[in-house]
Amino acid sequence: MTTGTTTTGVVRPAPSRPGREDVFRRQLARLGWGFTAPSLILIGAVTIFPILFSVIMSLSNVNVTGSGFQLSGVTGSNYSILIHSDLWRYALTFTIVYTVITVAVEVALGTLIALVLERLTVGRGWMMALLLIPWSMITVINATLWGYIYNPTYGVLDDILSHLGLGTPVVLGTPLPAIIALMVADIWKTTPFVAIIVLAGLVMLPQDLYEAAEVDGANGWRTFWRITFPLLRPTIALAVLFRVLQAFGLFDLPFVLTNGGPGHSTTSLAILGYNTMFANFDFGPGAAVATSTAVLVLIGCLVFLRVFRAQVGREG
Amino acid sequence: MSLLVTALAATSALTLAACGSSATTASGGSKPNGNPNSGTIVWWASPITTTQPDPRTVLINAFEKVHPNIKVHLQSAPNNTDTNRASLVTTISGGSASPDVFMGDVIWPAEFGAHQLAVPLSKYLKSSYWGTFAPGLVKGATFKGQIYGAPFFEDQGFLYYRKDLLRKEHLSVPKTWEQLESDAVTLKNKGLVKYGYVWQGASYEGLTCNFMEYLGSAGGSVLNSSLTKATVDSPAGQKALNFMRSLITSGASPSAVTTFQEPEAMSAFATGQAAFLRNWDYGFSYANTASSPSKVVGKVGVAPLPSFPGQPYPGTSNIGGWNLYINPHSKNVAADLTFIKWMTSPAAQTILATKFSEIPTVQSVRSSEAVVRVNPVLATVPHTRLIPRPAQTPQYPKVSQAIFQNVNSVLAGSSSPTSALSTASNSINSAVSNSGL
Repeated sequence: MTTGTTTTGVVRPAPSRPGREDVFRRQLARLGWGFTAPSLILIGAVTIFPILFSVIMSLSNVNVTGSGFQLSGVTGSNYSILIHSDLWRYALTFTIVYTVITVAVEVALGTLIALVLERLTVGRGWMMALLLIPWSMITVINATLWGYIYNPTYGVLDDILSHLGLGTPVVLGTPLPAIIALMVADIWKTTPFVAIIVLAGLVMLPQDLYEAAEVDGANGWRTFWRITFPLLRPTIALAVLFRVLQAFGLFDLPFVLTNGGPGHSTTSLAILGYNTMFANFDFGPGAAVATSTAVLVLIGCLVFLRVFRAQVGREG
Repeated sequence: MSLLVTALAATSALTLAACGSSATTASGGSKPNGNPNSGTIVWWASPITTTQPDPRTVLINAFEKVHPNIKVHLQSAPNNTDTNRASLVTTISGGSASPDVFMGDVIWPAEFGAHQLAVPLSKYLKSSYWGTFAPGLVKGATFKGQIYGAPFFEDQGFLYYRKDLLRKEHLSVPKTWEQLESDAVTLKNKGLVKYGYVWQGASYEGLTCNFMEYLGSAGGSVLNSSLTKATVDSPAGQKALNFMRSLITSGASPSAVTTFQEPEAMSAFATGQAAFLRNWDYGFSYANTASSPSKVVGKVGVAPLPSFPGQPYPGTSNIGGWNLYINPHSKNVAADLTFIKWMTSPAAQTILATKFSEIPTVQSVRSSEAVVRVNPVLATVPHTRLIPRPAQTPQYPKVSQAIFQNVNSVLAGSSSPTSALSTASNSINSAVSNSGL
C-alpha cells in the first residue's frame, strides 16, 4: 500500500501537456488494478466463490465423499424439502420472532443508555469502557458464562429463584424460558453496541435546535420526540440494520447453551443449516437453508432501507 | 481459510467426479502405502477419561517404546461427539492427509463408509486379526461387507448405586425400573440425597442411548430389520417414554436431567448428591478416584441396568465405545496399521482395562482373570444384555436427532408421548427414505 502512494506521488506532478493526461490516468488505473488485484483475487476466492458455490450446491444433488463434493444435475428438490419441512418453518418463525424482539429491546435500551451517557459529565469514558465489556467478549465465552448462571444444579439464577421461593425452574430445559434466556444473553451483549452508535449520533446533533426549543419553552419529553428522535433516525436505522443482520444469523448462543433444544425450540436457521450440513452430511438441503436465509435477510434489509429512505425524504 | 481449502477440494472433486469410483473388495491381501516401521503419525482422539494420567499419552509412550522409529503426535479432538465428527468430515473431505488415524464413535462406520471418509481396513487386515475381538464388535464396525474401524474400547450403560445408602435403608439393588424409581424417591424423601436417580436427558446423542435402553427393556425397536421403516411408535415406545417422563414427575429424577449430559450426571453422583446413576464404564473409576474429584470413593456399586416387569432381567444396555479408523488421504497407511494393530493388542488393551477401567475389545484380555480382578465393571459385563443403536443406516444421525429431540420434548413436558412418538416416527421414515431435513 505504501509503495502505491509513493508511486502515485511521483507520477502525479508530471503531466504538463494536454492529451498526455489520459495516458497517465490510464497508466494510473492500470497500476491501481495491479496493486489491488491480489486482494481482489483473495476476496473473490474466499467470499464470492464460496457464496456462488453454496448457491450452486443448493440447486444440485450433492454427495460428500472422501475427496470432496460430487455435484450432479440441477434440481429444485432441496428447496422443496425446506418448504415441506415443519422444522424449517419453525426455525424461520423462531429466527424472525427472536430477531424482532431482541433488536426492538436493544434499540430501546441502547437509546436510553446513550441519552444518559450523553448527559454524564464525570466518568463518561469509564462508563463507556464498562459498557463495552459484554460487547467485546467473544459470544461463545459469554454463552458459557450464561450457562453457569442458568445451570439447573449449581447455577446462580437457580439459587436466587429458590431463595425467593419461586421454585427451581429448569431454564434451559423448558421451551419458553430457554428462548427468553437466550434473548436475555443476547440483549446483555449487544445493547452496548447500539448505545455506542446512538451516542455517536447524539453528539453530532446541532445544539442550536435545542437552544431554540428551550427558548420556545418545550419540555424534555417534547424535545426528545420532536427533535432528538427524528434527527437520530438515520443513526438508529444503521444500528437496527447491523443488529438485524447479526441476529438473523443467531448461532453461537443456542449452539453452546441449548444445542437447539429443548426439543427443537431454539433451533435457529443457522443451527438448522449447521446440523443439516455437518451432522447429517446433507449438503444440498443445508446449502438451501443457508442460501434462503441469506436471501430472506437481504430482502428484509432492502425493504427496511426503502421504508427508512422514504421517511428521510419526508423529514427533509 | 479452511473454507477455501474445502472449496478448492470441492472443485477438484467436480472434475474427478466423472471418473467414478472403482471399489475393490479384496480381503486382507492389499499392500498399504508407506513404511510399516517408521514415520510420523498424527492420532486424532478425544479425551478418554478426565482423570490423570491421560490414557492417550500412556498408550502412545508404550507404543513408541516398542516401535521407536514411529513417532505419534496426539491431536486432541473435541469432547462432543457431534462436533468431533463435523470437524473430521470437513478435514477429510477437504483432502487433508492429517490426521492419519482417528478415534471415532462406534456409530460411524455406515456414515463414514458410505461417504468414503475412512479406509476399509478389511482390505489390509486378515480375518485372523478380526477374530481376536469379542463377538459382535467387528460386525458393528462393518458396512456393506467392509470393516472400517478396529474396535479400540467398548462401552455400555451401567447402573451405579450407593452401596452405603442402600444398606442403610435395607434396600437391594433394583432389578426393575419401577423399583429403581421408588427406591430413588424413598432415599430422596428421607433427605439422604438431593436427587434420586440421575442420567443423560439433554437434547443430544446421549439421550438416544438412554432411550434405547428403556425401549429395549420394554421389548421395542426403532427401525425394522431392513432399516426401511420406523417401528418406534409402538406400545413399547409408549411404555419407555411414559416411564422416562414419570421419573421426573414422581421426583425420582430432578427436572434438571433434561439438560444433563454425562459430565453433569457424573458430577451430581460423584459429589454425593444422587443415589443412582446411569453412565458408561468410566463412571466406576471416576466415582472411586478421590482426585476426580469424588466424595463417594469406596461407596459405589455397579450393576446391569434394570428391566420392566414381565421382561427378562437385566434390561438392555446400549453399546457405545470407540474404533480406530484411517484417513483415506494418509501418506503412511502401513505405519497407521502398525499403530492400530498395537493399540488393539493384548498389551495395550490390558493397560486400558486395568489402569482406566475401560472394557477391552480383545476377547483374551476381557476374559483374563488378572484383568477382571482389578476391574469390577468388567465382572458385570458378562451379565449385561446389549442393544445397539440403529446405526447400520448411513442416515443414522437424522434418525438419532428425531429420537433425542422428541424424547427431550416429552421429558420437558412440552409434548405428550403419543404425539412425540408419531412425530419421531414420521421424521425417521423421511430420514431413512432420505427425503427430509
